[in-house]
Amino acid sequence: MDTTVVAELTGNIATVGYGLAAIGPAIGVGIVVGKTIESVARQPELQGRLQTLMFLGIAFTEALAFIGIATYFIFTN
Amino acid sequence: MNLSALLKRTLVLGAALAVAIVVIGGIIGFTVAGAPGFVGAAIGAVVAAVFLGLTAVSIILAVRATGGDMLKPAFFGIVLGGWMVKFVAFLVLVLTLRSADWLNPVAFFFAVVAAVIGSLAIDVYVFATSRMPYVDAKLPPSSAESDLPPTA
Repeated sequence: MDTTVVAELTGNIATVGYGLAAIGPAIGVGIVVGKTIESVARQPELQGRLQTLMFLGIAFTEALAFIGIATYFIFTN
Repeated sequence: MNLSALLKRTLVLGAALAVAIVVIGGIIGFTVAGAPGFVGAAIGAVVAAVFLGLTAVSIILAVRATGGDMLKPAFFGIVLGGWMVKFVAFLVLVLTLRSADWLNPVAFFFAVVAAVIGSLAIDVYVFATSRMPYVDAKLPPSSAESDLPPTA
């Protein structure tokens, strides 16, 4: 019996990894920044501390994105 | 101590960390994979330190441009615009370096991971040991600076 090819994938599936690696951090940074705006609108006098925490939030979120994109280096082939 | 001063401190410590990872990672990379291993570890550490440092630089620039007022659109334009441009640049760099045969990809990857985790540790350390005021309020001038005549 002959095998019929229903779907075929050519190229490198690892490139899909970038798309997946971008989704999480994008949502994360959106939430961090949006919540910071909300908080500053409620309590403008806390702006200094909120900026600090926002920086930490962005730093942690982007760390995941960096590692996600860099996995392209070891997960090919 | 304000935010810009803290961020400058994270930049200085982050640069020191990058140098340390270049040295240690370079030695390990050279031992395991020869010259490409050294180059991979060195470029990985520098790239990760520079790209993570760009967030701090963008916030410093944004604070300077807006006079510290976070609710101005320019603040988020600079911080988030810088973030996006940085990721596109990182992606292009990764795609360019991937085909280079003078660079060991595994050494590059581990140097990036080490530099990212190390710089996060530095950020947390700097912010946890900082003394930020809870409230940003303008204090009245002290008696030495005020225009009132001295009382005694």
